Amino acid sequence: MNTQPAPPGLDGLAVTRVADRHWHALDDDLVVGRGYAEHRPDGRLFVSIDAWHDATFDRLAEAMLADLPAPLYTVVDEADTDLTACWLRAGFTIRRREREYTVPTDPQITGLRDVAPPPGVTIVPADHADKDLLRAVDRAIRDEVEATAGWQSMPAEVIHHPGGFSHCTVAAAPDRYLGLLRVAAAHRPRIGLIAVRAGEQRRGIARALLAHTLKTLHRSGHDTAWAEVHDSNHAAAALFERIGARPAGGNLELVR
Amino acid sequence: MTKSKSGIELEGRVVECLRSATFTVELENGHQVLAHLSGKMRKNFIKIVLEDRVLVELTPYDLTRGRIVFRYRN
Repeated sequence: MNTQPAPPGLDGLAVTRVADRHWHALDDDLVVGRGYAEHRPDGRLFVSIDAWHDATFDRLAEAMLADLPAPLYTVVDEADTDLTACWLRAGFTIRRREREYTVPTDPQITGLRDVAPPPGVTIVPADHADKDLLRAVDRAIRDEVEATAGWQSMPAEVIHHPGGFSHCTVAAAPDRYLGLLRVAAAHRPRIGLIAVRAGEQRRGIARALLAHTLKTLHRSGHDTAWAEVHDSNHAAAALFERIGARPAGGNLELVR
Repeated sequence: MTKSKSGIELEGRVVECLRSATFTVELENGHQVLAHLSGKMRKNFIKIVLEDRVLVELTPYDLTRGRIVFRYRN
């Protein structure tokens, strides 16, 4: 964020709630800071503040925290130490840390050219998946996660979005689906979720899904995709690093 | 260029990705500014890379600094 101490003359700062989820910090008639709140699909309330000075940030945070119900969440770039310090000062604590990866798509780089799914498993391209079977595997994986780590510890983006199945590549057994990979944002492809049923893991299914998806992206002209991996998910980090993915920063999720 | 109560907004092109989540943006008028990502963009995981066309809001206190408030489709 790169905020600085408030310059002289910022004593007249006033914070106004201009809409249900939108605040302004006004210095005289000039908007010098903004705060926003919005619900993620999983129901959690995320806030953000843009301010040119620490004092403005603090005033906006004070007003927003007084108006909004806890818990509140926010996301910062881990390299942005100024902004992180502002949120910590407002009472937020770091809840999760995610590493970002730039993932090459070229099979020459990834080494995934000849990767095939394990015996009895086929890869079904996005848009060709059976919607009922896809819903079933999606539900089953969610139930498995809920019974273990819980979705509250997972990125909000993996929560189902209406119509979100359209970009899912799936791994299929003859009678059911075993795993899925979802890619979001065609402008700059983002691997939003790789998930395999609990009993089917460690068979190379995730790698086969990744191989198919990256090759498809490469053919459509994308040199790279990007992905985020929870700091503690060593298996996922290893999967990406083995195919030449490069760390490209990280995000912190904070909560209060 | 638009001028609002919130300051000056200018279009530009990202010419350098720096540490501390900041970017050097070359504005249409040729000037370069140091800009960071707006909170809304960060919250929505909008990525900025080299050569992206962006809209920058300049701080009223220092016209060499700003924040990226929008990324155009190239």
